Amino acid sequence: MSEGANDPTDVKMLPPVGEAGRPAAPDPADSVPAPERAVTVSTSAPRQLADLPKDELRTLAEEFGLEPRRFKTPQDLVAAIHGRRQLIASLDREAMLDVVRWGRRPVPINATGEQLAHEILRIKSMRFDGLSERGLVALARLRGVEVASGDPVPATVKKLKKREGFFARMNRKRRAMLGSIVSNMIGESDQAAEYQFLPPADGAASDRSGPAVSSASVGPPSSRDRSIKEEIEESGLFGGIASRVKKTADQYINQKLDEIESRIDRKLDEIDRRLAEWRDKEIANRIRILKITLWASVIVASLSLIYSYIKVNFYDKRGPGGVGTPGKVDQKAPSR
Amino acid sequence: MWDLDPFQFFRLTVAWVATIYATVVTLQSLWGWVVYLSGGDKYMTMVRRYLIIHALRLRFTSFWGDVIICTLLCLVFLLLWRLHGLIAP
Repeated sequence: MSEGANDPTDVKMLPPVGEAGRPAAPDPADSVPAPERAVTVSTSAPRQLADLPKDELRTLAEEFGLEPRRFKTPQDLVAAIHGRRQLIASLDREAMLDVVRWGRRPVPINATGEQLAHEILRIKSMRFDGLSERGLVALARLRGVEVASGDPVPATVKKLKKREGFFARMNRKRRAMLGSIVSNMIGESDQAAEYQFLPPADGAASDRSGPAVSSASVGPPSSRDRSIKEEIEESGLFGGIASRVKKTADQYINQKLDEIESRIDRKLDEIDRRLAEWRDKEIANRIRILKITLWASVIVASLSLIYSYIKVNFYDKRGPGGVGTPGKVDQKAPSR
Repeated sequence: MWDLDPFQFFRLTVAWVATIYATVVTLQSLWGWVVYLSGGDKYMTMVRRYLIIHALRLRFTSFWGDVIICTLLCLVFLLLWRLHGLIAP
């Protein structure tokens, strides 16, 4: 894979041109080349898939963006799922992350390729502004569009629209109209929030080759936020409104959680400060007790010294009856 | 005749009792702390680390006056002991 395609800082976004035509790709070298990653697929996977019941197999196929009714036998469905897995494994992870950011799907940064693909397949939007070229190619391949590596962007978009179908397009237009009506009714605020990945899930990055990277270092974050019009166009009236309500509730909960977290932090700091004060007071108190004990010991030792001096020099020399102790006198006599 | 010096008796008694009592209480306290902090659960690990952090944060400049006085008192006590040995061997 070319170096430019791997550089996350060198990602070209598609301009917001709505649903009209699109300028040609500026540089063929920047377009996403054919995937060169070695595809390693377990040989036991088709056998395991074939063992699944029909309903589970259909559910799995739908998760992979396949239409189970198009396949007559379970073997065909298993082969299609297997092929879809191979396709996902061959896709560039950075391109898939671009699509996830563009579609603002909630995924952790260390999500596996299949998890990313599942989220991408839930994106039904046909507004490709803000999506990188490599992301567009990945999205097209996941939607079942045959895209060559050198295809220009307008051709890819055209293929995607052709793939959408007449009735789906009409439904989307209807939802877009409904969305614009609702948007005009409630008043749309164009605040663009930066996309953020979910916290990393444990053990989800089993197929990642590189080290874990933060959301800020993955690539240029898309500043594009979906309006309610686009949400209704993508998910329908109730789905779009429910999504907006959910988003507002999430923001409120996040704000409250931040407040609680800051309050807990303040409390912890206060506890830490008080504990440090208690520690200093306790040590000072112990040292003071030690000092008093030492003073008492020194005073008692001084008294003892004075007592011993008086006893040796005055009392023992005279003795109890005024006569000095013979032993002591004899010991000191030669030195004199 | 049994010659009992009351001051010597008082001094030796206080010295032995106080030394033994202080040693036993100190060892008991140390053993209690060792048993308490030698737990293997994660909370005890946190407590150990927290104690280490507090020990590292401790600034002896706050107590250096008292520490110097204690050191000097210890020296004076040793000198008195030595003098006592010279006067009354």
